[in-house]
Amino acid sequence: MAKVTIDNQTFEFEGQEKLLQFCLDHGVDLPHFCYHPSMSAPANCRQCLVEVGMPQMNRETGQPNMDEDGNTVIQFMPKLQTSCSMQMSDGMVVKTHCSSETVKRAQKDTLEFLLINHPLDCPICDQAGHCPLQNQAYKHGPEGSRFEFEKVHKPKHIDLGPRVVLDGERCINCTRCIRFTREVSKSDQLTIIERGVKNYPMTPPGVEFDEPYSMNVIDICPVGALTSKDHRFKARIWEMSKTASISAVGAKGSNCDYWVKDNLILKVTPRTNMDVNEYWLADEERADYKRFNEDRPTSPTVSGADVSWDMAWKAAADCLKEVDGNRVLFLGSAYATVEDNYLLSRLAEAVGSSAPVYLPHVENGHGDDWLRTDDRTPNAQGCERLGIHAVSADDLKARLTSGEVDLLYVMEDDPVASGACSVADLEGIKVVLHHYNTTNATLPAADVALPAATAVETVGTYVNIDGHAQRLRPAKAIAGVNRTLSMEIGKCRADRHGTPFDKWYTESNLVNCHPGWVTIPSIAAELGTEMTYKGPKAIMEEVTASVLAFKGATYDAMGEMGVRLTEAGVTA
Amino acid sequence: MADFIKHPVVELPDRKPEPVFGPDELVFSEDEKAQVKTWISRYPTADGAIMRGLWLAQEKFGFLPPEVIQLVADEIGIPYANAYGVATFYTQYFKEKKGTYVLDVCTCFSCQLCGGFDMLHYLEEKLGVHKGETTPDGDFTIQEAECLGACGSAPMLQITNGPFVHNLTEEKIDALVDALREGQMPAFTSVTLPQDEDELGGNRRTDVSATDTYSVRPVSETVR
Repeated sequence: MAKVTIDNQTFEFEGQEKLLQFCLDHGVDLPHFCYHPSMSAPANCRQCLVEVGMPQMNRETGQPNMDEDGNTVIQFMPKLQTSCSMQMSDGMVVKTHCSSETVKRAQKDTLEFLLINHPLDCPICDQAGHCPLQNQAYKHGPEGSRFEFEKVHKPKHIDLGPRVVLDGERCINCTRCIRFTREVSKSDQLTIIERGVKNYPMTPPGVEFDEPYSMNVIDICPVGALTSKDHRFKARIWEMSKTASISAVGAKGSNCDYWVKDNLILKVTPRTNMDVNEYWLADEERADYKRFNEDRPTSPTVSGADVSWDMAWKAAADCLKEVDGNRVLFLGSAYATVEDNYLLSRLAEAVGSSAPVYLPHVENGHGDDWLRTDDRTPNAQGCERLGIHAVSADDLKARLTSGEVDLLYVMEDDPVASGACSVADLEGIKVVLHHYNTTNATLPAADVALPAATAVETVGTYVNIDGHAQRLRPAKAIAGVNRTLSMEIGKCRADRHGTPFDKWYTESNLVNCHPGWVTIPSIAAELGTEMTYKGPKAIMEEVTASVLAFKGATYDAMGEMGVRLTEAGVTA
Repeated sequence: MADFIKHPVVELPDRKPEPVFGPDELVFSEDEKAQVKTWISRYPTADGAIMRGLWLAQEKFGFLPPEVIQLVADEIGIPYANAYGVATFYTQYFKEKKGTYVLDVCTCFSCQLCGGFDMLHYLEEKLGVHKGETTPDGDFTIQEAECLGACGSAPMLQITNGPFVHNLTEEKIDALVDALREGQMPAFTSVTLPQDEDELGGNRRTDVSATDTYSVRPVSETVR
């Protein structure tokens, strides 16, 4: 197999790999700005320079020349090479900044050049703390600047489009954003304008940077030049906790990180998963976070009056006891997790009702065969696999108006807003409703309303449109649950190092709600049905054992990246 | 400092300018379209033809407002943003309306030492406009240019991306402006290097009659 020697350590490799990517994959931390694994390598930041040499060959014998000690003579290229564009070949010898003073010096000087016209106002820059330029200047850069003159000025705070703001001065012209629009999203809306020291990325006149994936350029920008109009100057990176979870907007289940400060979701960024969303996230998935923060219910209600949770569960159980089991319609939800839908099926079984159904929320023409899908719910596939099947809005309306239903049990959905029925249609029908927001249009008709934990507050599983089963983790705490004791919640510095007596500790914005896997067993207990689990992990274990389509999809198997399900569960 | 924050040093160019040319004017003739096609066929990918295409459009329309750049991009079949990036990179593509004659006076190192700024200022005073401006009658635009590659005959200027006028003096500028006002564009002038002057009658080139060679180099008044 072909061999390459990097800093006196020999690696084997196959195929046509680029040197920088190989180094990054094998733990050699080469600094770089313009290189991104999903895009072409223009080699314009010059930060990944390394010394590259090949064995010196004897022209007559065709064998490598040996020195007196019997070592191969290595002929180094006269100039340093950009490793991002350097094709590896057999016998190549590479010296990085770890072993070569020349490379170290080159990287230091490149950074000095980059910083000549870059504003040194990190304390007021939004990128500070997660800025590749800042990090690399600390690690590899010069101590101080020798440039004592006025820097070149460029336009600042430009609205490139409705969601992205550009600061021309901070830009180091790595062209990642331009290559993103050219090669990945193919919208071709950005270009570098002007020349020399005056250049910066811009849309051509008359064009707005408005495409469904525009905000990805904010994540790939290695400096604070591109920022989100929505999030800029809202919070410092170290003030927020980050939880690896998945997006709940479309059926693609893009992997993302939720950023939380004071129990409010402030930002959603993509998380790399090459099987699902690669490095990207659609703008609609980032813009959706406000519904987790705003219009949240404060308490469970019975006939519109606030009650305690125990009373609410009892009231819901009484509703179920009063009516005949086959006159109850259970409505599952493609917004709810596999675990909650499974428990709802078990509850329906316990009261003698038929299997739950769910309302699909499909918007034809919305999808684009990439990360956006026609299906606007995250877990329709999970419902189908559990044997909970879609019911059209018309069929649901017919069943509700035919008089065959006495009790409608709605889990985490809104039949009124989706046009399946009106509040008037529900007169004479008792309604138990798990709801996320006070804007839920079914709420006025609900006899028992139970605030439900949203996708960022619960633990569970979603199955995406391709059958990829992935785990949700709680990003923010809910009332009555200690953040640090809550399962798998992302921690911030205050969580790790603080105490509840610190002056910055806050219990504000804690929503008084419960996930389905707390509510449904509690109601079942009131009904006299035993449904005790040690949490969602145990529920999923039961699902994997009892439902063939979920065979093998345990929490441990899903991990951070999820597993691909077939008809017979996890097969590979 | 506070003033600087309130009034940023660099203004953003107008991002939604009014179109200069109407849709009726914004068309290439069949001949021009065929010409663009031949240029495209010369390169492995269509974007190779962008510089030729922009040049053609500039000759046709006089300058390149955004809608003309869009027209060229559409004709070649490349994204508008790419074409706009190329057009803004080169100063020889005029993004705004210029005078009939654009006088690019070189003030880079060699010309500066030999009096480039003297010539620029003389021209500015003579025409009554500053660099970057166009005379009210629309005849002349004066621009300060970086090195145009004729250091041997400094100071010099270039007329509308065309012929060079070498070894500028005030008299030469007077004569040039008068000639241009009458519509007479100076012819191409060949220049030799001083070390070649003894050979081949002072010039290695075949068009010796067109050469204009000084043996004493002028020096800037400020340097003197």
